Amino acid sequence: MRRRGAEKAETKKLWDEDLSNIHLKKSKRKAVILATVICFGFAVISIRLVNLMVLNHKTLSQKASRQYDRVKTIKPYRGVVWDRKMREMAVNIETDSLYAVPSKINDTKFLSSKLAPIIKTSAADLNKKIIAKKGKGFIWLARKMDENASARVATLRNELGIKTIDFFTETRRNYPNGETASHILGYANIDNRGLEGIELKYDKYMKGEDIEVTFTRDALGNSMSGGTEDAVPGNNILLTIDESLQYIVEREISNAMEEWKAKAAVAIMMNPMTGEILAMANRPSYNPNFPAGVPGDKRRNRAITDLYEPGSTFKSFLAAAAIEEKIVRLDERFDVSQGFIVVGKKAIKDVHRHGVITFEEIIQKSSNVGAVKTGLRLGATRYYEYMKKFGFGDKTGIDLPGEMRGILRRPQNWSGTSIAALSIGQEIGVTPLQLLRGYAAIANGGLLMKPYVVSEIISPAGEVIKNFSPQVERRVISTETAIKTRNILKKVVEEGGTARKAYIKGNLVAGKTGTAQMVDPATGRYSSNKFVSSFVGFVPADNPAFALIVVVYEPVGGSYGGTVAAPVFKRISEHALTYLDVPMEMDENRVLLVTDAR
Amino acid sequence: MGIFYINKARGIYIPVLALVAIGIVMVYSSTALMSTKEFGSSFHYLKNHLFTVSLGLAAMLLLSQINYLKLRPLAIALLILGLILLVLVFVPGIGLSANGARRWLRLWPTTFQPSEFVKLALVIFLADYMAKYGHKMRDFRYGILIPASIMLFFQGIIIIQPDFGAVMSLGILTIGMIFLGGARLKHIGACILCALPVVVFLLVSKPYRMKRITAFLDPWADPLGSGFQLVQSFIAFGSGSIFGVGIGDSKQKLFFLPEVHTDFIFSLIGEELGLIGVLIVVGLFLWLFIRGIWVARKASDTFSHYLAFGLTIMIGCQALINFAVTTGLMPTKGLPLPFISYGGSAQLINMAAMGILISIAKRNEEERFEQFHRPLFVAGESRERPVNRRLRESLFKKAI
Repeated sequence: MRRRGAEKAETKKLWDEDLSNIHLKKSKRKAVILATVICFGFAVISIRLVNLMVLNHKTLSQKASRQYDRVKTIKPYRGVVWDRKMREMAVNIETDSLYAVPSKINDTKFLSSKLAPIIKTSAADLNKKIIAKKGKGFIWLARKMDENASARVATLRNELGIKTIDFFTETRRNYPNGETASHILGYANIDNRGLEGIELKYDKYMKGEDIEVTFTRDALGNSMSGGTEDAVPGNNILLTIDESLQYIVEREISNAMEEWKAKAAVAIMMNPMTGEILAMANRPSYNPNFPAGVPGDKRRNRAITDLYEPGSTFKSFLAAAAIEEKIVRLDERFDVSQGFIVVGKKAIKDVHRHGVITFEEIIQKSSNVGAVKTGLRLGATRYYEYMKKFGFGDKTGIDLPGEMRGILRRPQNWSGTSIAALSIGQEIGVTPLQLLRGYAAIANGGLLMKPYVVSEIISPAGEVIKNFSPQVERRVISTETAIKTRNILKKVVEEGGTARKAYIKGNLVAGKTGTAQMVDPATGRYSSNKFVSSFVGFVPADNPAFALIVVVYEPVGGSYGGTVAAPVFKRISEHALTYLDVPMEMDENRVLLVTDAR
Repeated sequence: MGIFYINKARGIYIPVLALVAIGIVMVYSSTALMSTKEFGSSFHYLKNHLFTVSLGLAAMLLLSQINYLKLRPLAIALLILGLILLVLVFVPGIGLSANGARRWLRLWPTTFQPSEFVKLALVIFLADYMAKYGHKMRDFRYGILIPASIMLFFQGIIIIQPDFGAVMSLGILTIGMIFLGGARLKHIGACILCALPVVVFLLVSKPYRMKRITAFLDPWADPLGSGFQLVQSFIAFGSGSIFGVGIGDSKQKLFFLPEVHTDFIFSLIGEELGLIGVLIVVGLFLWLFIRGIWVARKASDTFSHYLAFGLTIMIGCQALINFAVTTGLMPTKGLPLPFISYGGSAQLINMAAMGILISIAKRNEEERFEQFHRPLFVAGESRERPVNRRLRESLFKKAI
């Protein structure tokens, strides 16, 4: 029995073993099936990889670079402006600009409330500004902040761990002399684009070239690497302006503005031999470092944009024309004892009665009647020709933006009284610069020069890219005529002349006063209390170092050019002569007393 | 015959070690920046990784030296250990939660993820179970009900964590193994059909899972939202092209590609090493997989066969799913790439599994060696057993 049982157990064991062998065989077959399926899976993966990595490589890597690469425009250094002695007139300083990454900002309100007081806006406005650019990667919050504000933002950023705002270094245009020469320099806006003056006129030379640099950034917005290239800096500008002379001129017309409570004042100093502008000043003025909100009235460069009737200062050109045309002798006598002259329906009067005077004295004493008589003798056509030759009614071509042509009507459009009016500097609109240029032509022997303020454009490496040399427009009058006219103009400042107040110790002055009534816009007639007082001339008379014009608009308490403008001319000239180290020609005891001022 | 029997199992050693080596390089490449940002040193993650790799290597070598048959009596005990560890995850103080999931045990100096251990324990258990009840596997009760209940039990615990990836891999493992063990295909099919509504419910119940599905279907629809990870993965692959951008030169790891050091390290390999690199990785896994199946085929008994097969598909399927997820062929789920991804528990368990596989391979070789050198006739022993031939045939028919 026992043996049978053992045998049975062994049989069962063997059955089981055999059974499991059968299972094993079947299972192994199934394993191969399953393995084949999974291998197929691997094959699918491989195909998919080829598809993604080779066939879609182009589109995907484009998407990739779109998300890593940030193109940053690096702004160049704007060219520097120097005066003629290489003193800096306009420079660049590095400032911080604040930007935000709106797409990364979670709590716009919180950020706005923290930042608004520092960057001086209201929290609501800032919030709105950021939300408007929601989803975008960049927005300026504050450009070119002052150091104090940027330091405060930096502390705030560190304290709160805000990574969605950051700084970008930008250069801001800076004018170290403030208001000085503001009308020549103009100013550049927040994007370093020139908007006025030299900054506008020479913008294409000074702006330099932007450069686009591709930065790689990570998903958190940090720049990982970037180009090291720098933008091409702009070219530097060398002016003909002399900062010291400019300062003297500005100071003196400021004083005159205060003294006479004038509405405006202009002074231009020019080298009559070359046409270089040495100084050009306007009042009212502004500080180009803070151009925002400055009214146009203060920004206007009146020296080239504002037209006025030159009045008596214009008589010099009449005299020059008359001498050139040889229709008068210098010692020819004119009877102006009547005190007035009727031309057409208009009576032109003298301020003082002069009796019988020489041609020279007409200019010296600024006799209107004498001038009209000369004008009538010269005739409309010839007079027009000379005015045209002296550059009136045309732009001087100075390299500053916004210049006006002036108003000079053709003889065929003149009325019967026009020749008389023009003889005393009325019915014509000139800019102070035009007038000064005319005088410069008399000063230099008859050549009309083209005025300019930029003498050289210098590359960042120091090479001269462009050199502006003096340019003669044309000969206006002969040298003899110029000398004769100059000698007459010298007498204006001498005893019996209208501008004794322009007398300078040691050097002879040639010049002419002018007092023009302004046209009252309300009535269309000459106003009885609004004047433009001017003095224009050159020193030393026989070998001029500079020609200078001083125009004071609407002085209160005085109107005559001899009273208002001549002293300004004198003060500027004295300082300028000292500064320029011009030797004195005369000894001190030839001082003449001043009696008459007109 | 070296002490590690490398000759006998070089088809497993070489791909595993190669993958681990690639993993070390890629983990450093992917974490250097992140590590510097978080810890001030670029080596923080690398050090952790090297620590787990050495633990894993030790486990692999140890298990390859031990006869795996000694594991068989421990099958149920290991499963129960897995259960305990899983439950411990929910004990405050021991369990560790991160990113809204409680998956880890606090284990100085690192953490441990019990669900990884459960995968291995389940493979050993199923191998043992199917070897024991091989002849009953065609019954619904033994073939489906019991293994499926155990699987569902563990899945149920893991879904609470939640760890959908682990649930999926447990499911695939179990189904694969019972299919192999002889469960009827129609039973399995029916079960899958029944499970489908549950899977759909689980997907719908959590919006983030649903989002993953929609993102998978069309990642470009919302490239900055739900489709972000997949789109970034595509971009990584696409920038790689054939030769890659070079090791360390990835830009996607600059915080563009989330989980770049764990679940999406394959994309980084694609970007830095190019098509060549990823095909080498796919090839190494394929080599390992085929070697694993080979070991299973060479096994002389059912337990060894099932075990080898289970371990092989455990690795093979995880790799395949990871590939499919990163290339957008499957919806995103948290499954690391074996041997390569950063992550201690998976690394340790996978290498331990390979240790067991090597042990099986070794024994196969030894048996073959024995068989080959066995004398044809030994006195007093015969290969043919005295069994009633008719009985045998009837049993055979029944079995089939």
